[in-house]
Amino acid sequence: MTISTAPVAEPAAADAPTAPARPPRRPAHAREWWLGAALVLPALVLALLFKVVPLVRGVITSFESSSGFGGSEFAGADNYTRMFDDPMVLTSFRNALLVVATLPVWIVVPLVLALLIHQRAPGWKFFRAVYFVPYTIAPIVVGIMFRQILSPDGPVNALLRGVGLEPLAIEWLNGRNSALFSLVAVALWSFFGLGVMTYLAGLATIPEETLEAAYLDGAGFFRRLWSVVVPMLRPTVAYWSVLCASGVLIWLFPLIYALTQGGPGDATMLPEYLVFLTTFQFLDRGYGSAIGIALFVFVALLSIFSVRHMFTEGTRKPR
Amino acid sequence: MNARHSARIGRYLLTFALVVVAVAAVYPLLFTVVSSLKTQSGFANDPLGLPAGITLDNYLEAFRRMDMPRLLLNSLITTLGGLVLSVLAALLVAYAVTKLRFRGGKVVFLLIIVTLTIPSQAIIYPLYQTVLDLGMSGEYQGLILAYAAFGLPLGTYQLAGYFQQVPDELIEAARVDGAGHLTILFRLLAPIATPALAALAIFNFVWMWNDLLLPLVIMGGSDSKTLMVGVSLLSGQYDVSVPLVSAGLIVALLPVLVIYLVFQRQLVAGALAGSGK
Repeated sequence: MTISTAPVAEPAAADAPTAPARPPRRPAHAREWWLGAALVLPALVLALLFKVVPLVRGVITSFESSSGFGGSEFAGADNYTRMFDDPMVLTSFRNALLVVATLPVWIVVPLVLALLIHQRAPGWKFFRAVYFVPYTIAPIVVGIMFRQILSPDGPVNALLRGVGLEPLAIEWLNGRNSALFSLVAVALWSFFGLGVMTYLAGLATIPEETLEAAYLDGAGFFRRLWSVVVPMLRPTVAYWSVLCASGVLIWLFPLIYALTQGGPGDATMLPEYLVFLTTFQFLDRGYGSAIGIALFVFVALLSIFSVRHMFTEGTRKPR
Repeated sequence: MNARHSARIGRYLLTFALVVVAVAAVYPLLFTVVSSLKTQSGFANDPLGLPAGITLDNYLEAFRRMDMPRLLLNSLITTLGGLVLSVLAALLVAYAVTKLRFRGGKVVFLLIIVTLTIPSQAIIYPLYQTVLDLGMSGEYQGLILAYAAFGLPLGTYQLAGYFQQVPDELIEAARVDGAGHLTILFRLLAPIATPALAALAIFNFVWMWNDLLLPLVIMGGSDSKTLMVGVSLLSGQYDVSVPLVSAGLIVALLPVLVIYLVFQRQLVAGALAGSGK
C-alpha cells in the first residue's frame, strides 16, 4: 500500500509555507486534498495492480530464461537478441505493420457510411440500427461464424461464382495473402458499426444553421461536405483514429484464434497471438514476455498521440 | 429539371449503397441462424439454402454440452461486476480530477489514461501471475477486477470530459446550499452525465461480455469460466457439426443483441451526448 502513502507526504510539506499567508482556507484545502486522494484511490489501485505491476513483472521476466515447468534464471538481454534472429517474430511484426497500413480504410469507410446515413434518406434510422449489429457480436463468435462464410463452398464463393467471378472464388483462409486480407476484412466487418456510431455522434454536433447558411451561400453538396462538415468533424475523426490505432491489433486476437491460428505457415501470425502461443503453448515465459514488451512498445508508439490528445481534452477548461 | 433529375439518381444510388452494406452486415448472422435450424445431413446436402425442415435439436444439444445456465450466470456476474466497478471508479476519479482542488490530480489522470496503451495481450502472463498471487485465479473477483481495470481509461476520459463541461458555478451554488461532495457527485453531476453513463455502460457490457483472452487465462477451465470460453471450447471439439456450433453461437450472441435492441435509443442518445465537446 505504498501507493497511498507516497503522495500524501509531499503536499503536507508543500502546504506549510503558504499556510500563514491565508490561514482560514488551509483546512478546507487540506480536507479537499484528502478527499481527492480517497476518491482516486480505487482507480489507482486497479490501474497499478492489473496494469502497471504486470507490465513491470513482464519487463523483469523478459530478462530471464524460464521455459517449461522449471525455475528461471537471469539471462540478460538474451531474449531480446534472440527476437531479432527469429523469423517468426520478424514476420509477426511485419504483418502487424501491414495491418496498421490498413488504418486509413478503418477511418474512411465508417466516415463515408455515416455521411450517407446523415443525408436522412428514407429509413436512415433503420440503417443506423443495423450497422451496429455486427459490433455487438463477440469477436470469437464472429471468427467461428466466418469459418463457414469463407469456407471454399461457403456463401462468399457461391456469390462470386454466381456473378461470374469464378477465379476469385478461392480458399480465402488458406492463401498467404488472402488469409491476412480476410482476417482484416472480418475485423473491419466486426468493428465498422462502432465507427459509424461515433461519426454520427460527431455529425450531430454540427448545427443545422451552419449547413443551411452554406447552402444559401450557394455551396454545393461536396463543397459543403469538404469546407463545413469535415473540418467540424476533426475531433471525432481524431478520437476514432486513436481508438483504431490502439485497438486494431488487439481486436484481431480472437479472430486469429478462431479463424487461422496464425496460419497458413506464419501468414497471419501477429505479435499478440505469438505472445499467447509462446507463453502458454511452448511454455517459454521469458521469451513470451520479451515479445509482449516489444508489442507494448509498438502499441505505445502508435497511440502516444492519442493519449496526449485525451489528456489535453480531459483537463482543458471549457471556453 | 436536369439538376432535380440527377438529385433523384443520387438518392437512388445512396439508398442502394446503404442497402448493400446492410445486407453485408446482417447476412452472416442470418446464415448462422439458418444453419442452426438444419439437421446435420440437411446441412451437408445443402449448406447454403433454406432448411427443408426446422429442427431445434442443435439448441438442445448445445445446452446439454455446454452447461449453458452456469456459463450464462458466470458471464452475467463477471460482466455486471466489472461494469459497475469500472464506471464507479471512473466517476470518482473524474470528479476528483475536474472538480476538486486536488494537487496531483492531473498526474493521476495521465497515469490512468496512459494505461490504455498497455494491451492485455502484451502482459497476459504477468497478469495471470499477479491474479494467481492474489489468490483470485478461477474466481469471479479476479476477472471482475481485471475487467474494471481495463475499462478504466476510456471511462475516466469520457466522464472527465463530460464533467469538464459543467460550469463550476453550478457546483459552487450547490456547495453554498450545503451539499456535500458525494451529494454533488451522485445527485447533481451523475444525473447530468446520464447519457454518457448509459453509453459507457453499454460499451463496457458489450466488450466485457464478448472478451475472450482475459476469461480464458484467468478462469481457464474452471467452473467459473464465461460463455465465450465455453463457446471457444465447443468449436474445438472434433465431433461437432456446423449446425451444432451455429446453435451455440446464436445462444452466445443473443443476450448482447437483445440488450442492444432494447437499449438502442439510449445508446444512440448517449453516443450523441458523449461527443458533444
